[in-house]
Amino acid sequence: MAEDAYVISASMIPFGKYRSSSYVGLAVSPLIDALQRAGVQKSDVDAVYVGHSYGGMMTGQRITKEIGLGTVPTVNVDNACSSGATAVHEAATAIAQGLIDVAVVIGVEKLTQFGGGTLPLSPEDREVKQGIVMPAVYAMRATRYLYENDATVDDLALVSVKARRHGALNPFAQYRQEVTVEQVLAARPVADPLTLLMCCPTGDGAAVVVLASERARHRLGIGGAARVAASVLHSGQVQEGFRDMTKPEITYQSARDAYAQAGIEPHDLDMIEFHDAFSIAELVYYEAFGLTEKHSAVALLRDGRTTFGGDVVVNPSGGLLAKGHPVGASGVAQVAEAFWQLTGQAGARQIEDARWAATHVTGGGTAGLDHGACTIHIFEAA
Amino acid sequence: MSATPEAPVSVPIADLDSDDLLGSFAEGRRLVGTRCGNCGQTMIGSRVVCSSCVSRDVSRVPLPGTGVLYSFTRLHVGGDGVRAVGYVDLDDDVRTLADLREDATPLRPDAPVELVVDGDAWFFTPVTGA
Ligand SMILES: [Zn+2]
Repeated sequence: MAEDAYVISASMIPFGKYRSSSYVGLAVSPLIDALQRAGVQKSDVDAVYVGHSYGGMMTGQRITKEIGLGTVPTVNVDNACSSGATAVHEAATAIAQGLIDVAVVIGVEKLTQFGGGTLPLSPEDREVKQGIVMPAVYAMRATRYLYENDATVDDLALVSVKARRHGALNPFAQYRQEVTVEQVLAARPVADPLTLLMCCPTGDGAAVVVLASERARHRLGIGGAARVAASVLHSGQVQEGFRDMTKPEITYQSARDAYAQAGIEPHDLDMIEFHDAFSIAELVYYEAFGLTEKHSAVALLRDGRTTFGGDVVVNPSGGLLAKGHPVGASGVAQVAEAFWQLTGQAGARQIEDARWAATHVTGGGTAGLDHGACTIHIFEAA
Repeated sequence: MSATPEAPVSVPIADLDSDDLLGSFAEGRRLVGTRCGNCGQTMIGSRVVCSSCVSRDVSRVPLPGTGVLYSFTRLHVGGDGVRAVGYVDLDDDVRTLADLREDATPLRPDAPVELVVDGDAWFFTPVTGA
């Protein structure tokens, strides 16, 4: 990056079901808190980036007007589950290019508006017309993964058990109760081999981070910060024929680019927030991120090398499985977790001496694509 | 001074008129595919442009009725009871999402499967004895 960008504050509401809150109601409190904690006045803000998928027209402006934060550019971003992370990417890129000094990034989503069920996908898509839903996509990935690897449904359950154990430590998580492998396996089947406890919950949420240039950071006199060491956004590439669903190339390629940008190796990372929308995803992404060789992800999980005290803590927040997954908010919430971990604000789930953190979200179910979007960030304690 | 040509008029593609995946061909009722006359890529469904070489020289073709099941799931949500769906890699390297029926032969990845058309419905089923 030409100029360094820093995350200088983060705020969010605990993810959950807030039927009495609108998009504005979800986002305004963390917006005010994030500005306050950054020591940033409204007049310091150069641009606002807002990630959401189902908020409708001018969601960003509807939120910012409540605190009179206008005039400056507000950009509404939709990249499905990658919406919030894409908004972070846009902010970091503008700062890196020297175009702006202070950016506010809001990720917000209200999934309770749909009254439950699977995530609504575009009715124009060929496979959506055929009845595809996201759990089915990940379930097919899981079926193939179990077929090709020395792995069982117990391993899929173990991912959820770990996520819930981490989530139990996180006051921002939607699910804070621990579960056992037996409970996960006995839960209602959603799409074989995935049970309900192997799927992220639906819910509402909002997260806000403030990014600043080196110059602004010093002017504002902020203490702890996380330097944006890599900010990568990729789009899916169509395959009309065979595709290896256990080797999602969009994440492999994005991770390769992110490591190159940051100048670090996989083993340098202290923590990663993965897009674990369904438990199978975490295993696939261990391999995509180069934490282990292909076909050896389950060993990493079984040996406890991806939890507290291991080589790298994967999803210290509880991940999407426990923290929750209000689509457009998730990418920003991941960055908030990285910021808190790197600045020693993570409370009971604090990773000791955390220096390097990565966040990863993919987005979208679209026929012919692995995913529509993939955003990866790497942060360094600053 | 040479005149700059007038800006061409682009026309919308009426893709909603032809989104049925099942079609009638000389070979019988088959899934509809599109083959590129320029690079030879075959694609699922009715298309007007090749996603590889961007040629518009494409034609409607029947897709093979046989292939291999890449993966599958039994879906318990969505209101249709339990519904088996999977990705089938057809013999000409086109992947399609498909409903699946299983009888005596249980579903498994890499199993040979074949198309069955029943009225307006279609699905794939394991090839018996394979
Ligand atoms: Zn072509």
